[in-house]
Amino acid sequence: MSQTSGATVIRTVCPAHCGIDACGILAHVKDGRVVKVEPAEFPDPSYRRICLRGLSSLEITYHPDRLRHPLRRVGPRGEGRFERITWDQALDEIAEKFQKIAAEHGWSAVGWVLGGPGGGTTKFGAYLRLASLTQSTRVSTWGYGDAALPCGSRILFGTHTPYGLLAGSLRSGGAPLDLVVVWGTNPAESQPLNMMRRIMDARRQGARVVVIDPRFTVTASKADEYLGLKPGTDAALALGLLHVIFREGLEDRKFLERHTVGPYLVRTDTGRFLRGREAGLENADEYVVWDAVAQGPRSRRPGGPPELTGSYTVSGLACKTALQLLMDLAETYPPGRAAEITGISAETIARLAERIGRAERAAFVTHMGFTRTYHGDISLRGLGTVAAVAGQVTATFHGGHRPAVLNWKPFLQADPARPSYHRLGILQLYQAILSGRPFPIRAVWFSFINFLNQCVDSRKIAMEMFPKLDLIVDADLFMTPTARYADYLLPAASFLEFSDFVPHPHPYVQLQQKVIEPLHEARSDADIAAGLARRLGYREFFNGGEEGLIDLILDAKDPSLAGITREKLKQGPMALGAVPDLGSEQDVRFSTPSGKIEIYAESLAEAGQALPVYLPPLETPLEAEGKAYPLAFIQGHSRFRTHSMFANVASLLEMNPEPVVEISLEDAARRGIAEGDLVTVFNDRGRATLKARLTEGLRPGVVNITEGWWLEQFREGSVNHLTHDVINPVQEAVYEPNMHMNDVAVEVVRRGEVES
Amino acid sequence: MSKRLGLVIDQERCIGCEACTVACRLENQATAPWIRVETMHASQKDTPEGRFPELSMTFLPHVCQHCDRPPCVDACPALALSKREDGPVVLDREACDGCQTCISACPYDAIRVSSDGLLVEKCTLCLHRIDQGLIPFCALCCEGQAILFGDLNDPRSDAGRFVANEPTYQLRPELGTGPSVYYGPPKKPRGL
Repeated sequence: MSQTSGATVIRTVCPAHCGIDACGILAHVKDGRVVKVEPAEFPDPSYRRICLRGLSSLEITYHPDRLRHPLRRVGPRGEGRFERITWDQALDEIAEKFQKIAAEHGWSAVGWVLGGPGGGTTKFGAYLRLASLTQSTRVSTWGYGDAALPCGSRILFGTHTPYGLLAGSLRSGGAPLDLVVVWGTNPAESQPLNMMRRIMDARRQGARVVVIDPRFTVTASKADEYLGLKPGTDAALALGLLHVIFREGLEDRKFLERHTVGPYLVRTDTGRFLRGREAGLENADEYVVWDAVAQGPRSRRPGGPPELTGSYTVSGLACKTALQLLMDLAETYPPGRAAEITGISAETIARLAERIGRAERAAFVTHMGFTRTYHGDISLRGLGTVAAVAGQVTATFHGGHRPAVLNWKPFLQADPARPSYHRLGILQLYQAILSGRPFPIRAVWFSFINFLNQCVDSRKIAMEMFPKLDLIVDADLFMTPTARYADYLLPAASFLEFSDFVPHPHPYVQLQQKVIEPLHEARSDADIAAGLARRLGYREFFNGGEEGLIDLILDAKDPSLAGITREKLKQGPMALGAVPDLGSEQDVRFSTPSGKIEIYAESLAEAGQALPVYLPPLETPLEAEGKAYPLAFIQGHSRFRTHSMFANVASLLEMNPEPVVEISLEDAARRGIAEGDLVTVFNDRGRATLKARLTEGLRPGVVNITEGWWLEQFREGSVNHLTHDVINPVQEAVYEPNMHMNDVAVEVVRRGEVES
Repeated sequence: MSKRLGLVIDQERCIGCEACTVACRLENQATAPWIRVETMHASQKDTPEGRFPELSMTFLPHVCQHCDRPPCVDACPALALSKREDGPVVLDREACDGCQTCISACPYDAIRVSSDGLLVEKCTLCLHRIDQGLIPFCALCCEGQAILFGDLNDPRSDAGRFVANEPTYQLRPELGTGPSVYYGPPKKPRGL
């Protein structure tokens, strides 16, 4: 490290909610002020890294607009007029109001809306602990665009996220990859360090890189081939790829037999898997396969090779193998049809399918963006099914590091004798506030979230939801657009001002060490939660402050954390416990009902989604003709922000001063729009007025505004004045409904050409 | 061979993130950006050239080229600029009187007026770091690992190895300035 003269250097972690980079940071402190941050070393030098936002973090901590002390609203909500109060006043009054609301409506009417804690654990856990003690309601924010990928992944793989299974080979080393398919994500801006570096490394070693995205992103600029598909048509592309893979016989039959439900028989009348009892077999509950040698039904195990394809009649019941059903579906998506839907040429689809089918080793890189559509869960399943059929899912385990198993129990259910908190998805919060379904929410506490700015249908939030609430509390660093609506506004600490445990980046865990005392009257989230807990009678659950909570979460008695303590972590990152290479391939047992990769999911048969069918997007206009809102609106992510964080940092604003709507030259010309013109993007829900940026870098028919700009940075409206709160019931049943901010139809006109 | 410290900027790996710009400012308390990242052949930053979907986008970070024959050194009436034997072109801020002659002399637009308008400033190649055996801060913080530092004459150094083994080019070689910053052009996409 370069020692700033006279400075002490403290190691900490940047937990900004960027994914799981959790860059180790060396903070140089001089006369009580942090004067510099730099990337800290790791045992594996490739983990020494930082991004432009991390480098800008002092501009957050020392921002002139930091909230300095607790505030109480004096004017109408949203006007932004507040008076200074003390912490005691604020917490006393909030506790009293919570108790009053709870007495009238039950504690479930108090909702904790906790956004992205980033890599942090106890800052999040502290509120959960209090939520569980009071049996109030935790509002999960996965539904903020991040729930559809888990929905799809849970169905297909039984895991919350599919990253390790689809792209683990980018990390694990071994033989070089020959293909990397980046699908619906832009890691060059959203995950430059943990993902884009590895993609570029793989390409240097010979891998062909393909990027699938409606936008020609920075990631696309590093690819060998760019496929600019229509948004929301990913499942059709997947089916087109599967068509060619099956037609050319490129499916990996060994993989399908060993790791997927491909050979299991499905009743064609009910769409359910055939069970032993229906086939008159001894093992009544077991899945049934068609024995290839005996030519008859048998329980899936043990036995000789099963048939992978075909139609069979068992005890008078017509059945097909799950793989056969998938092949039948894919049969109806020849490249020509997939091309019509997706806008990718049939030839390109066929060549990509052959590349995937013939690859020795391929990785699929994906993330949340393309799943922020009404059927985004199926898009993910389509992608994952392509990977599984090609045998390119990491389904065996050769040793490595354990995942960190933390002691979450005391946070999720602080008192073992009593039930935990209630749970609502953030998209379900809308109706809970508006119509009291499934139960009423009368008070919300926002922490590390900019709800009004970042969640769908901002007009509805401000005009309909907020007025229905008896109490809004917001803990934040700044007067965000959401904060303006708070009744009580509490100044929160920046990451340099408190300690937390950060179980990233795998295989390391780190201590986010407090570097300086909180500035002004700011407090850490853990302190704030503890202060409120004291007033609600739960003092003893927060003894020991932040450090006590860190010790608690580390006390998992799990082998992954063996020997890892807060004291030792002060010295630097520690690696999670290793699992020895057992010398042979170990099957991964998937946490699906069958234990296999479910390329066919019987639970979704009634919904018509047992297979990764292509269903058209909800709003995205695939054909512009005759539509009032002929343009598809999407929200990419910007490297200058992590969601709405860093939107107020001066040095970043110098490089990227204001929001723009990206529009293709073709669409702009048709509307008489020139570069830099002020334009209004609108639909029935609302509008956003901002400058136009003309570019060839996105598919005609699509417009993009990067998300995260604050409301006041637009001339009028914002991105989420355009989005909708429609719930997909399948996602709601499988996991949690997702916001579909990339499934939105709009029109764009020059400013002034739309009636107000 | 004598030491020739310099940089390689590998455009194949530059993702245009501008972390170098931010890092440089933080490390050097620069009041104006010493590194500027250009999107090549583009009318606007971060936009590609070509027609959808046949597109390309390449980033070009501009920084002091630490020329072997630096025009700014010759031009400076105050003798505030000098070429160090091992490569860096150094600005002595005590001697600088802010006349900005160097700014007109530099063909790379790499010298900035400080925000108070009184002096000029530019990339130092992080002398305070490299003289301690560290790499420049932009190279340490480069998200794409595109900036390599070292003795260009020594194939064991990061930069020297690249220059010895990969195709590189210099900016405006026809001027005879002998830049010590080499650029690695992006590799051609291979298609499907």
